[in-house]
Amino acid sequence: MINIPEKAAEKLFLLPTVISIAITIGIFGFMLLLGLPLIIRGGHFLNLLAQSWAPGSGLYGIYPMIVGSLSIASLSLVFAFPLSLGCSVLISVVGHEVFGRFLRGVVQLMTGIPTVIYGFVGVFLLVPRIREIFQRGSGMCILSASLMLAVLISPTMILFFTDSFDHVPKSYGQAAEALGASKGQKFLYVTLPCAWRGVLTGLILAGGRALGDTLIALMLAGNAIQIPGSVLDSARTLTSHIALVFAADYESLEFKSIFACGMSLYLLATLLVLGARGLWHRNEGEK
Amino acid sequence: MNKPVKIRTTNLCFSYYNHPVLQDVTLQFFENSLTAIVGPSGVGKSTFLMTLNRLWEEIPGARMKGRIEIKFNGSFHDIYARSYSLPQLRRAVGMVFQVPNPLPMSIFKNIALPLKLAGIRDRSLISYKVEQALKRAYLWEEVKDRLTDSALKLSGGQQQRLCIARALILEPEVLLVDEPTSSLDGKAASVIEELLLSLREHCTILAVSHYWDQVKRIADVVVELSNSHHQSNIYHHQKPQPV
Repeated sequence: MINIPEKAAEKLFLLPTVISIAITIGIFGFMLLLGLPLIIRGGHFLNLLAQSWAPGSGLYGIYPMIVGSLSIASLSLVFAFPLSLGCSVLISVVGHEVFGRFLRGVVQLMTGIPTVIYGFVGVFLLVPRIREIFQRGSGMCILSASLMLAVLISPTMILFFTDSFDHVPKSYGQAAEALGASKGQKFLYVTLPCAWRGVLTGLILAGGRALGDTLIALMLAGNAIQIPGSVLDSARTLTSHIALVFAADYESLEFKSIFACGMSLYLLATLLVLGARGLWHRNEGEK
Repeated sequence: MNKPVKIRTTNLCFSYYNHPVLQDVTLQFFENSLTAIVGPSGVGKSTFLMTLNRLWEEIPGARMKGRIEIKFNGSFHDIYARSYSLPQLRRAVGMVFQVPNPLPMSIFKNIALPLKLAGIRDRSLISYKVEQALKRAYLWEEVKDRLTDSALKLSGGQQQRLCIARALILEPEVLLVDEPTSSLDGKAASVIEELLLSLREHCTILAVSHYWDQVKRIADVVVELSNSHHQSNIYHHQKPQPV
């Protein structure tokens, strides 16, 4: 009796699953296909990743952009992680209930703010400050972009962190309290060790978002194609590169290079997820 | 009873969202004795235990009035006094819950946690105390070869003894036990009963129980709470001493 609808439901849900897997693989294939001329001409794909960018001499390497993307994304995580952890502890561990609810609402609202708004705020408020404080360059640099990006990705992390803190069974907290744990100790010895998976997931999703975001870096990082020497240098990310080249050109090999950028982004994101999964499963073995 | 008083409550009232649970409870508990607290469900037995280590304070809507004093170092202290340290109270008043609540970490780490929370870092002292606590809780022989295994892998009865060991490691003067055997089978339950009887030498035990036969076996004093017309009635039963 129940079997038939159950089977039908299984088939029904299999369809979107297959479609989404096919799209994921299809996009990678599409980028590979369109980037092929460049890969053949420039030799190995790996060379392309390691070469610098000099279209005049026929070099279409995207190494500077990879460095730009990685440094901006990782620096934004460095800024956003402590901020998000503190904020989520305030929301679900130490803060007053009403204040926590209010703060959570604000954070949820933040997730809905369009990226371009953050970009504007960055251009008019953050960049001039950075320029004044450090007295170097235009203020459009890795630091400005990562600071603004940190604000953009924090809500994702905060919501994941609070969610995982809230899911730690109440009885664990009660056990720790009954043993004389202060609020801080309860968090450090019980809540955090139980919730680390959620923390990790939030960190990875936020990292993916930082890596994939285009507008903030485009508006605030200065977009110079160079290997940055400090956080006050201008840099171009893979995503900005795609946007900038796409807007200017359609036929050249330069245009084809953006598919290599797309592939690199794709691979970086995949590596991030695989790395996290590895960590996840290794620790599961210990339990 | 000729033993000295350890705990006294005076006009204790307790309510959840203005719904009274305990009304005007004035009681005394004696040193090195096991007092069973009995009564129908919902009469406030578990709540009463929680007033003695202030564990109810995180529960929303809970309110308490009255006075609770416990004798530490020869004199009575109001445990709700502002100057009284909460972690210190919780270390002196251990608690074992109805459902065993080991934390998701190894057996060793579970038992050692209270020491860690109290700021003890000396590793050899910790190992020694963990072994002592496990021996007192009759668990050492069963787990000595797998201290690094997860505590969640133990059976229900073993988990409950682990929780007792964890509560004992700080050598509390008072032990609150909330229906410690209700989630266990008969054999595991009788081990716990025997254990509680052996612990009486060192601490004052207050045990909530539903089972009259259990109460008859282990209790020195029985306090029965009942709730009629929003009034907590208390009946004292003195267990006749065996001849």
